[in-house]
Amino acid sequence: MKISFTLNGKPVSCDLPSNRRVVDVLREDLGLMGTKEACGTGECGACTILVDGIPRLSCLMLAAQLEGRDVTTIEGLSKSGETLHPIQQAFVEAGAVQCGFCTPGMVLATTHLLSENPRPTREEIREALSGNICRCTGYQKIVDAVELAAEKLTEKGETA
Amino acid sequence: MKRDALPNQPRPLQIGEPIPRADAPAKVAGREHYAVDYYAEDMLWAGVKRADIPHAVFRGINSEEAEKVPGVLAILTAKDIKGSNRQGVARKDQPVLVDDRIRHRGDGVALVIAETREALREAIGKITVEAEPLPGVFDMEEALKEDAPWIHEDHPGSNILLKGHITKGDGATAFETCTHVVKATFELPYQEHAYLETEAGWAITEEDETVSITVSTQTPFRDKMEVAGALGLPMDKVRIIAPYCGGAFGGKDGITVQSLLALAALRFSGRPIKMWWEREESFIASAKRHQARCRYRLGADATGRFIALEAEILYDTGAYDHLGGAVMALGLEHAGGPYRIPHTDLKAWAVYTNNPVGGAFRAFGVAQATAAMEQMVDRIAEKVGRSPLEIRRLNAVRRGDTTPIGVTLTTSTGIGRCLEIAERHPFWRKRESWKAKAGPFRKRGVGVAAVMHGMGYGPVIPDTANAKIELTSEGSFRVACGVVDMGQGNAHTFLQMAGDILSQDLSRLELVLPDTAWTLPSGSASASRTTYTYGNALIDAANLLKERILKRCADLWMVTDPKELALVPGRVRHLPSGRETTLAEVAAFMDETERTTVAHYRAPQSPQLPDLEPNLRLHGIPHVVFSYGVHIAGIEVDLLTGAVTVEHYLAVNDCGNILNPQLFEQQVQGGIAQGLGYALMEEIPVTEGEMKTVNFSTYLLPTFLDVPDMEVIDAGGNEPTGPYGLKGIGEIPTSGPLPAVANALFDACGIRLERFPMTPERVLSALEGNRP
Amino acid sequence: MKVLLPEILEMLWEVWEQNPGAEVYTGGTDLLVKLREGVTWPPALICLERINALRQIWEEEDTVVIGAGTPHTALIRHPLIQVEFPVLVEALKVLGSPPIRNMGTLGGNIATASPAGDSLPALYVLNAEIVLTDAKGSRTLPIHEFITGPGQTGLGPREIITGIRLKKTAPYTVSRYEKVGKRKAMAIAVASLATCLRLSPDGRIESARLAWGSAGPAIVTSPEIETAMSGQPLTPELLRGLIPAVEREVSPIDDIRATAVYRRKVAANLFLRLSGISEGGASA
Repeated sequence: MKISFTLNGKPVSCDLPSNRRVVDVLREDLGLMGTKEACGTGECGACTILVDGIPRLSCLMLAAQLEGRDVTTIEGLSKSGETLHPIQQAFVEAGAVQCGFCTPGMVLATTHLLSENPRPTREEIREALSGNICRCTGYQKIVDAVELAAEKLTEKGETA
Repeated sequence: MKRDALPNQPRPLQIGEPIPRADAPAKVAGREHYAVDYYAEDMLWAGVKRADIPHAVFRGINSEEAEKVPGVLAILTAKDIKGSNRQGVARKDQPVLVDDRIRHRGDGVALVIAETREALREAIGKITVEAEPLPGVFDMEEALKEDAPWIHEDHPGSNILLKGHITKGDGATAFETCTHVVKATFELPYQEHAYLETEAGWAITEEDETVSITVSTQTPFRDKMEVAGALGLPMDKVRIIAPYCGGAFGGKDGITVQSLLALAALRFSGRPIKMWWEREESFIASAKRHQARCRYRLGADATGRFIALEAEILYDTGAYDHLGGAVMALGLEHAGGPYRIPHTDLKAWAVYTNNPVGGAFRAFGVAQATAAMEQMVDRIAEKVGRSPLEIRRLNAVRRGDTTPIGVTLTTSTGIGRCLEIAERHPFWRKRESWKAKAGPFRKRGVGVAAVMHGMGYGPVIPDTANAKIELTSEGSFRVACGVVDMGQGNAHTFLQMAGDILSQDLSRLELVLPDTAWTLPSGSASASRTTYTYGNALIDAANLLKERILKRCADLWMVTDPKELALVPGRVRHLPSGRETTLAEVAAFMDETERTTVAHYRAPQSPQLPDLEPNLRLHGIPHVVFSYGVHIAGIEVDLLTGAVTVEHYLAVNDCGNILNPQLFEQQVQGGIAQGLGYALMEEIPVTEGEMKTVNFSTYLLPTFLDVPDMEVIDAGGNEPTGPYGLKGIGEIPTSGPLPAVANALFDACGIRLERFPMTPERVLSALEGNRP
Repeated sequence: MKVLLPEILEMLWEVWEQNPGAEVYTGGTDLLVKLREGVTWPPALICLERINALRQIWEEEDTVVIGAGTPHTALIRHPLIQVEFPVLVEALKVLGSPPIRNMGTLGGNIATASPAGDSLPALYVLNAEIVLTDAKGSRTLPIHEFITGPGQTGLGPREIITGIRLKKTAPYTVSRYEKVGKRKAMAIAVASLATCLRLSPDGRIESARLAWGSAGPAIVTSPEIETAMSGQPLTPELLRGLIPAVEREVSPIDDIRATAVYRRKVAANLFLRLSGISEGGASA
């Protein structure tokens, strides 16, 4: 079926089987490999994308549901192609990235958190990201990164 | 390597600084291409039909229905394999595809190649297995019985893959002289690596008949040999390319998809073929941390000085060796922990069963031994009436002492210092007042564990690395790294080393990830040896190149003494005159071969225990360099549910000199989190060889709310043999949490468990006085 | 397998008529996992997420009606739900994970009818009524009549849950939901207890509503225990005395997550925890 939606700020129109998982649409049909799949059952958050600004799991969403939606993947977060978004920069600086496979999902979940709560406590950060599994870091530096990102964004007077 | 600008880093990289990782920008932007991220227009999908029978004589498959699925191109079996069809690191006992015998449910019996993933799935579902079931062996003790069915008929004598027995002093007879003796058994669970990137790769047979395999692996050079051997290919016709792994932790130390992909690629020459295991398949087919049974007896004198230790450790290696023999050997070497014990009697077995395969997993057999030993130490402390830190300080090894297997420690030995730092820490000193603040229906406790971990491959297998570094014609430096970065950050550390030696900033440094066609053999990313071994080689290569550049420049400028010249970012400077030239200009005056240097490094290997059984030496006993640490956990136990919350965690580490504090903390924090999972929730119940948890809904990993903020302390060590004084830190943190939490549980509630992990149910049951 | 997204209920009946074997879903957090497992493979799927009528929350006199397609996150944040039904908010806050709560809906959690469904004990103590609608019209069933067993409901053919009706009552002094899982986030309840208590100024229980999750084939309630608590001061002694009754009322099972023995014990212990309430933390 023909599906039209906005992907990272640009209109997209493609012909897709309506029951194709969104994670497969993004990775295989549209070549956006930043969205990762690690469990396929909604238990890890690696495939998190923003749909109309809200984190959703692209492994539990079907192509037909994309119609008319505004989708942001990790590739669409920074405004110009090469510079990192302040949240991404904070993840780099705080040492929140090891293998990096959970990172896109973590960053997108953080984007949503900071858009709603610009200065979250460590507890609020842990709660808000608790649907995202990381097997490498022990989470602490990700919490550090979100705090750092909050600082960066507040200083810039920006919101996520 | 693709890199994004890091505006805060214009200065040359320096050892010791917490410089953010060079691989992070691409990863955080979603631009890093992992093995799983390759797709191509005419790509085929390959997948495996698994036996789902634990033990049987294999007769064949019925694939008639599967072949009819539109888009299915081929269904291959062992008959299509020209080589040995055997893989393995020590014993080559694992078939690529089963040919004679099914030995566990995850065994692959057929390889399906299809145009689409959907067709692949459908076809795999339609294949049936023809086999004559054999009685299975699912318990280690059963497997050891004389009349137990043999799992490997070609393995002499029994289901014992490898056993080890080491005695020191008077062995077990010394218990007669002990005032205090404690005895206990520990049942430790399987642990799944649960790297987020499941096993994946893609392969293509090139025009020159080389099979190129891009794969998520820790061992590219060993993979090359294994694939060539198993499929009967000339060694020079197999190429392995190893991008950054999306986690590995030992689970990609050995073959996963490689030979299967190559087999498919050989059939469809010129077409890219992808394989990507789903999470459930990853559980079923991958190796795990060995489940283990430890029987311990520890004796001490009236003051708490250890006199005698007896240990028996059974490791369930499942259907195949994988690295089970080596895991067992490392566990045996570390069975007595970092203590002076004059008399020991230590035994360990790696046992074949029809259970899932046990293999390499961060802390490699030591996690199990430490879990047992550290709880024994705590029992002695309790008997003697001394604090857990005091008893450990009393018995801790110093340099010059012999370890529990009788090896004299000749390198940096920082356990004593770690214990002193822990003892002075405010959390330890004020623990009683913290414990008193537990809420209603709750109790708090504080527990300690001391850890030790040997680095490298041991005395026989050459533990070597070959570094290569190149001055490019553009005047930047390219480090060709033959050892994988599975997420731990060694790739960045290599750039930091090269940048320090060559006085260059990150924008002038490039990294070539492992590729058997371009980088040099440097062993596996494993055994806490990656940065140590490759780092030592790289230092030599970088210094050689620096010297060569300065000499060439001295010639050009007619300077007599190259010492008058120095490298600065992008340039060479004549120090007396301030005259400069760009590195690109210097490069133009050098031949291509001159611009590249290589260096070889072989890690020190122990000459000790020459009379040890040769097979144990081959499997890695003994080591020369050890890291040490002390872990302290503060927990709260909910007496109504049995749930344990880790509130505080402190780890003091002797891993030599720290090259990058941020990466050091990453390793320790991440290792602790995995250890807390092992302590509290991770387990795979197995019945008749069938795993009951094959997804993340039932196999639970620690979340953001299960791991506390941790305090990571560097005890300030220095290991002269290490690059810049470094020792390995990758594995050791994983061993501490289980015993630290278990000891805290005793401190809180006076209960000790026999079975792990410490789930709420087990804890509550023990609180009610049931046998643990 | 095609996926259809009707935007109004009338369209739903039409497409369902045309695709008789279709299954419906909204958030997909359960159905898509079942598809992956191959448990179900219907010829078509109908996704209800575009039907706005299912996402409304409104008041009808003394009743609040929640559209069945309202995602959990929206309910947690809804002022009316926060004020009137805090026990439901407490339960939804620990359901699944943040993204699951963004996707999953109240109607979906009810239709799945898992004894571990976190919203269910709260809905039982609130005497929720389930509005069921098909092409011909609507009917209403109390939740305990609607859910008939694990995964079993009284949903008719080509019928969906359209709403959940919750009657507003005088405010409870205590509204809490405690879940015992095997970890602290993304946990499936091994046992849970939703509690609403109305206490008099002198600490006596005026009325009590209790419902246990994962403690039997369906949510467990006990008029016997609620009656026995009524009029009594909330003391550890009272609760201890009723523990045999709790252990009698629940009928849990063994599964991969826990044994029946543990579930029974914890069901009782969660009840015992209520004695902590009198010492502050009333709505904790």
